[in-house]
Amino acid sequence: MPEDLILNMKGISKSYPGVTVFENFDFSLRRGEIHGICGENGAGKSTLIKILSGAHSPDDGSIEFEGAKVESLDPYSAMQMGIQTIYQEHNLFPFLNVVENLYAGNELTNGLIINKPRMLAKTQEILEYLHSDISPFDTVGKLSTSARKTVEIARALIQKSKMLILDEPTASFNQTEIDRLFEIIKRLAQNGQSVIYISHHLEEVFRLADRVTVIRDGQKVNTYDIADLTEQKLIHDMVGRDVSLFYQRKQVPIGDVELETRHLTGNGVKDVSIVLRKGEILGIAGMDGSGRSELAELIFGVKKAESGEILIKDKKVRIKSPLSAIRHRICFITGDRQGTGLFLRHPIARNIPIVSYTKTKTPFALPGDDVKMSERFVNILNIRTPSVFQLAMLLSGGNQQKIVLAKWFASEGEIFIFDEPTRGIDVGAKEEIYKIMVGLLEENKSIVMISSDMPELIAMSDRIIVMRKGSVAAQLGKDEISEETILKHAIGSGGK
Amino acid sequence: MKVRNRLKSGNGPIFLALLATIVVVFMIELIFVRDFNIAKVAFIKPRNISNVLMQVSTTGILAIGMTLVMISGGIDLSIGQMMCFIGTGMAFMMRTVGLNDWVVVLLGVAVAVLFQVLMGFIISRTKLEPFIVSLGFMSIYKGFTYLITNGSEITIEGRFNFLGSTYLNLGSSLRLGMPVIVFILLEVLAWLVLKYTKFGRSVYAVGGNENAAFLAGINIKKFKLLVYGVNGIFVAIATMVLLSRLGTGNPLIGDGKEIDVIAAVVVGGTALSGGRGNVWGTLIGVFLLGCISNALNILGVNPYWQYVMTGTIIVLAVLLSYFSSLSSTSVNAGPMKKKPNKEQGIVAN
Repeated sequence: MPEDLILNMKGISKSYPGVTVFENFDFSLRRGEIHGICGENGAGKSTLIKILSGAHSPDDGSIEFEGAKVESLDPYSAMQMGIQTIYQEHNLFPFLNVVENLYAGNELTNGLIINKPRMLAKTQEILEYLHSDISPFDTVGKLSTSARKTVEIARALIQKSKMLILDEPTASFNQTEIDRLFEIIKRLAQNGQSVIYISHHLEEVFRLADRVTVIRDGQKVNTYDIADLTEQKLIHDMVGRDVSLFYQRKQVPIGDVELETRHLTGNGVKDVSIVLRKGEILGIAGMDGSGRSELAELIFGVKKAESGEILIKDKKVRIKSPLSAIRHRICFITGDRQGTGLFLRHPIARNIPIVSYTKTKTPFALPGDDVKMSERFVNILNIRTPSVFQLAMLLSGGNQQKIVLAKWFASEGEIFIFDEPTRGIDVGAKEEIYKIMVGLLEENKSIVMISSDMPELIAMSDRIIVMRKGSVAAQLGKDEISEETILKHAIGSGGK
Repeated sequence: MKVRNRLKSGNGPIFLALLATIVVVFMIELIFVRDFNIAKVAFIKPRNISNVLMQVSTTGILAIGMTLVMISGGIDLSIGQMMCFIGTGMAFMMRTVGLNDWVVVLLGVAVAVLFQVLMGFIISRTKLEPFIVSLGFMSIYKGFTYLITNGSEITIEGRFNFLGSTYLNLGSSLRLGMPVIVFILLEVLAWLVLKYTKFGRSVYAVGGNENAAFLAGINIKKFKLLVYGVNGIFVAIATMVLLSRLGTGNPLIGDGKEIDVIAAVVVGGTALSGGRGNVWGTLIGVFLLGCISNALNILGVNPYWQYVMTGTIIVLAVLLSYFSSLSSTSVNAGPMKKKPNKEQGIVAN
């Protein structure tokens, strides 16, 4: 074999109950290279990491590491072999100092006694190697995000490391911090580390990577040397779906402005101004972590805005809690229906009326009324359940989502914010949800729709706002919407 | 069907075990002590029944408040010591300060509610564990109690005794004491409130899923103040009942009550994780535990065994809810459904 491969994956398949994530996936990594991985939300990037770090095992296929076949991989043996993973979320002990963090669970000892001087010396050595000015005695919880990332890299290096996986390491970094991280990564690669670098940000990939692999729907589309790759090619590979075959939505006349935000800032969102009209679906696109859900939380009063204002029907409103948002007739269908949408262990008849209680002044709530209301919505929304006394946890994903919708419909809202309305539900139920959404438009209501499902977003939206790093990267009218343009703005190559 | 479901979920096994214990105790007495003469069995004599009812009524009143707190996802370990504090405080104000009975009643309720609201305030604003916060308050009350009494009783010399010694005669020797009547009335009231008011719905909603409740427009912070405040009212009423019955402000008047109350609530099927339960279950729990303790007394079992039993019941209940949560999460949570970056929860600070 001419190439010096450290990792060679062949024919990897992985499915979870109901979804196939990987099918016949091939991937290889050279020694000392930085290999970028690109793909849309849900393309399979995180599953790849999970397989390589041993968190999940593939159903099928073979993995060779340093020329030897890997029979089974668990997190511990992966680290023993030299595969170190640095996740997007920090995995450090905030109350311990840097030395203690680097050696947590791997303390150097003289027999039974911990060898502090040696651990300290090694830590200093590695921090110097990384050109970091962090002190070994700093408490990790007090360090900045980027310094913490450096500590995580140091921790990976202090153990045997041959292959480093970095998942979105630059989230919430500023430019200088990004530059410094890149310098570190490049030096590591020069010294023979292989690096897998996963990022939503195109310019990072182009700056850093030697090669780039594009994943789409759990399959490798192509691997390129960076010299042969253009933005256009990359985006084209990431998209490559025929959107026109998708759901055809009925158009509804669009009316006056219903909701407006002006320079809304806070909760990771920066200076966002949007306008939403009656009878309109405003799509919000962006990669995970681009601030889409955070914007929704601001509008719904879950988190407080630092500055900026929200207007409803051209009148300035102060939304300081979900309750006041509900009073202003806003509804928020969250992306995590089990975690924040439903009372799983309560029956349907207790789930549906809960928001409507805020609408009346009386202190009473009659069980008979609850049942009647619930039965009405079970009929309207075609929720498949033996009775309204069924516990929400026993329903399918699609029916659970309809319960969440019913809960908000019962509150007689005007503005609906949908966060990933069809995540994890089957095709038939998806289409029903779309019909329900169009039904809302016909009643002259307005919808903000956050979605990572591009075909869905394109098919349903009248306009699309693309978010990136907390700000609006682009506003696209109906005729400008295409998967390529959205992606271009979402991963940050637009405008040039 | 409904009964079977209730037994299968929640703490049905404990419930059945206790019921079995009572039957066994009854049979032992019937067979070995009374020679098969049912009329002679002390356990079911009207006098004994009146007694048991009287004994459980204080625990029962406390358990109503605790049921509300626990369904809404909290817990309060401080109620026993709060009873001591309020009880001796009231006795002190009647006897030593010489205030009018009704002024003392008002003061007692006000202080109980005030401290509970303060505790609710801390719990709702900081998201500290109610367990540990109430443990702290428990010690505070204990301190107050001994500061007031210096460790000795304060008798109230027969004042304020209408609550403890008024009876409703229901035949020869079966009679209902005022405490029992108060208990039953409060029980019905709590049941109605839980079933027919928005506050009741909020109790279940907040305990079932606090994030979802917050997003559904429930003001969680205000709500928790309310729940703990209501709990304070129940503690105050229970204290007055017991004070009136005993006629003396003993510094140990409520000592250890929290354990009995929590045991009764969990035996009654209230989920330790919150969101499920009802006051009738708690009522049954209170009666069962009261009957067992009475039966053991009749049989002459060393009363210290009762501590062992109550503690075992609580541990068993925790274990059962642990195993039932294991089996139910595996049913409803697919690996793809969780959003990893949302695990922190959404409720604003």
